[in-house]
Amino acid sequence: MVNLKKGLAYLLIGALCVTQLYPLLWLLTYSLKTNEEILDGSFFALPKTPIWTNYSEAYKSGHYLQYLGNSVFVTTITMVCVIILSAMVAFAITRFRFKYGNVVMLIFLLGMMIPMQATLLPLMIIFKNVNILDTHLSLILPYIAFSTPISVFILSGFMRAIPKEIEESAVIDGASIYRIFRTIIIPISIPPVMTVCILTFITIWNEYILAATFISTEKLKTLPFGVYSFVSQYSVNYGNIGAFLVMGAAPVILIYFFLSDKITKGMVAGAVKG
Amino acid sequence: MAKKMKTVGMVLAASALTLSLAACGSNNDSGNNASPSGSAPAASEGGAAGGENVSITFQNIYPDPTTPTAKALKQLVQEYQDAHPNVKIELDTLNTDNQKQKLKTQAASKQIPDITMVNPAAQMKPFVDAGLFAPLNDVLDKNGLKDTYQAGLLDNYSFDGNVYALPDGNNIEVVFYNKELFEQAGISKIPTTFDEMLEDVKALKAKGITPIAIGEKDSWTGSFLFMNILLRTNGGPGFLSDVVSGKKTFEDPAFITAVDKFQDLVQAGAFPDGATSIDATAGSNLFKTGKAAMFILGTWETGAIDSSSVGSKVGAFQFPTVDGKGDLNEYMLAPGTAFAISANSKHIDVAKDFLNFYTLNLPKVQFELKNAVGQPQKVEGDLKAAGYSDLSIDVMNMFQGVKGGDLAFDNTMVPAVAQVHLNSLQNLFVQKVESSQVAKEHQAAYEANK
Amino acid sequence: MNVLKVPGRTIAVFILPALLLYVCIVFIPIIVSFYTGTLEWDGIGDSKFVGLDNFKRMFFDDPVFWPSVKRTLLYAVASMIEIPICLFMAILLNRYVRKANKFVSIYFTPVILSVVILGQLWKTIYNPESMGGMLNGVLVWFGLDSWTHNWLTEPKFAMYSIYIVSLWQYFGYHLLIQFTGVQNIPSEIYEAAQIDGAEGFKADRYITLPMIVPIFKISIVLAFIGSLQAFDLVMVMTAGGPAHATDVISTHMYNSSFLSMQYGYGSAIASFLVVLCLIFTVLINFGLNKLERKYS
Repeated sequence: MVNLKKGLAYLLIGALCVTQLYPLLWLLTYSLKTNEEILDGSFFALPKTPIWTNYSEAYKSGHYLQYLGNSVFVTTITMVCVIILSAMVAFAITRFRFKYGNVVMLIFLLGMMIPMQATLLPLMIIFKNVNILDTHLSLILPYIAFSTPISVFILSGFMRAIPKEIEESAVIDGASIYRIFRTIIIPISIPPVMTVCILTFITIWNEYILAATFISTEKLKTLPFGVYSFVSQYSVNYGNIGAFLVMGAAPVILIYFFLSDKITKGMVAGAVKG
Repeated sequence: MAKKMKTVGMVLAASALTLSLAACGSNNDSGNNASPSGSAPAASEGGAAGGENVSITFQNIYPDPTTPTAKALKQLVQEYQDAHPNVKIELDTLNTDNQKQKLKTQAASKQIPDITMVNPAAQMKPFVDAGLFAPLNDVLDKNGLKDTYQAGLLDNYSFDGNVYALPDGNNIEVVFYNKELFEQAGISKIPTTFDEMLEDVKALKAKGITPIAIGEKDSWTGSFLFMNILLRTNGGPGFLSDVVSGKKTFEDPAFITAVDKFQDLVQAGAFPDGATSIDATAGSNLFKTGKAAMFILGTWETGAIDSSSVGSKVGAFQFPTVDGKGDLNEYMLAPGTAFAISANSKHIDVAKDFLNFYTLNLPKVQFELKNAVGQPQKVEGDLKAAGYSDLSIDVMNMFQGVKGGDLAFDNTMVPAVAQVHLNSLQNLFVQKVESSQVAKEHQAAYEANK
Repeated sequence: MNVLKVPGRTIAVFILPALLLYVCIVFIPIIVSFYTGTLEWDGIGDSKFVGLDNFKRMFFDDPVFWPSVKRTLLYAVASMIEIPICLFMAILLNRYVRKANKFVSIYFTPVILSVVILGQLWKTIYNPESMGGMLNGVLVWFGLDSWTHNWLTEPKFAMYSIYIVSLWQYFGYHLLIQFTGVQNIPSEIYEAAQIDGAEGFKADRYITLPMIVPIFKISIVLAFIGSLQAFDLVMVMTAGGPAHATDVISTHMYNSSFLSMQYGYGSAIASFLVVLCLIFTVLINFGLNKLERKYS
């Protein structure tokens, strides 16, 4: 009986591995096919002869390194800012004794679900007026602003559960608020911070609409531009797109698998202990 | 307008201040002459000659570097920069959909790039009305550029006697067909009437061949085909302009018959299964890989078809007459996307000088790149000697015989009506609808957006 | 109550940077949207104040609007149904597999990949049989010819086909969240329960479920956000077609603003979306806080 249950569980787990990993495999074969093979729309087929030039072309005409560098830059700055800013807010809301904590929380909650596209045009006008169009700042600012609410939501859920004795003793020892935040709160908040990192990362790494609208200069463009640089008015160069996507996803997947132990351990860990 | 924008501008300026970043934007209180990028010194250099370094942005829709148009772009930009070391042409290259959306967003904040690209007629009118584009008459007069364009073509880009954009192409809609597949289905001659075409569709279908390739996820493809039928049932061009001028309505028999004929095609199984989820490119690939027998689209496809695996087996013919109506030498016309210059460009003279250089040299470069079919300008040179295919030459000959025609629906009607039209036609691919109902839908949308 | 008594200035230092940025970039544009929602404006030229006409049209005259709202809400419901399944899988993984987090990482891959490619993959599955669609091929192979359909182009099925892709893509996402929750329940609690005779799924009923409620809340909120913002996937799969059969609120908003060039009307839809977000934020928080209190 136990074995049967176990067997079924393994079967299910294995089947899901296949369905969830298949796209990666598919993408790899896709990236080595000719346009005709791809447009054949077959689910299984391998390329007749692998077209390695898809990679060299994608690398060159997709400006891979340059775009990758920009994406890494924008994403890193955004993630660091989101974490610092939202940790500060979450800390203040959950630990400070002040009247408007709930109001602040509510304000952030309200914006949690608003989609970025809804603000495209007003943002364009704002950015024009503060003269930051066509700079990385015009991407980083909205990315931070749109990621902050959900981060505040997650971090405050966690911080609320931290036993208050911890700060009480710190206060008695004469530690300042800033020190408590830096040396006590941040270190024990690492698990939910990992969650925030992943969520922020997923939303901005492939973001294209804001990027396409606000960035015009070649040397500032991010990875999604590379993907779409193979789509022209009446034709699409699918093989190159595939190759570019593989190259775009590779660093992410590598880092992710490398850190997977930490990530799964870390994510939302604390929320349960409350 | 100015007033509305000013109110918005004030709200935004407030936010700009709270952002505590240097707010140096200009509100549009004097209409449309806001300086394009905030704080940069408003240097008004005289012409391209000055030694001062100048950078202009050229927003374009030629991303794929393997296409001839993209190659031509790179080459000419390089040549110009070499000749003018102080000028830098910054290319903002986007795919078509994103470019359209970006330009519209930029237009809303009066911040369009020095050179951009727009579609003709109804699609560019809002930009012209808002005063965003500079008239290009002087560009056309320089170096005799004007005479290089095909007669009448620039009318599609003219408003109140001024030309506001210069097209990158000029195409007509023809029927490409795969001779081998026609033979397999026992079709010996190309159809010249719609009924013959319908018979051929049935014959092809019976052999298990997809009769007509289409990628109706991009709903303009179906509309472009439909408009061809309408051009015939109306007995000639001008149906939509008659609607606009109030002489006809969408409930006119010409329109209703066209919808019926179109549905006849759909019901006869002329199009691939699941056509509405096929992208335009995937649709054209059905033809290019020999899976479909006909492909009814603009002549811009000629080069790609030539170089595809079925290239040597493909011919082209004119869209047949419908119920004896229409003239074979009238076509659906597709004047291309066109280059426009921002009226607010800080370096407007450089932009104009570059555009003049670019368009003047484009025909020659395109000819060399084997992309002479569908050019907006008169192309000189012997196609045969230059190694162009029979298909290309046939198509070029059809161009010679063009007597007139209509523009695509979305180039004639305002966008809101065009969207209703596109969706209404897309619907015909998935279900049969009473043609009078389709007509009513169109008429209602037209009246709501008058 | 909160312990730290701090001067107002410190509070400002902690809260204002994020709050100001957030207000400028998210809030002000939203307010502007409410305003432009009252205009007849193509986004480029002159605008005309028309009061609540756009809203009236949206609620009463637009045949596309309510169906798109319905689809969006169904989307949300579907995403939420997935969460208990993810929890079940998380429990299985935690119980039977040693290197469970490697599997969790594997399940997560579809989330990282670009929607562009996932859309292409699923099209090869959903395509009609004549175009080599995998699903229809399998059905035919089993002799179930009558079950074959054009999954993406028959209005009856198209939207459900998209829901399934979305569920598949976000499976790993919710699983990851649930899994870490399950994993972090101290094992002593289960040991104590075992002595009391609660084991296996019985232990889950009394220990895992109550302890996982806060994680559920995060998952549900994220699922909701995901479905309200579902845009890319629909655009790649069907672009809202055929004939609006798969339009959701966000695609309808985008199409109205940028394709029909009725920016005012698009803004009205955006405003509605914002209000919808507000209502659900409040509802979810209210409902889940109640649940949380019940269990703790």
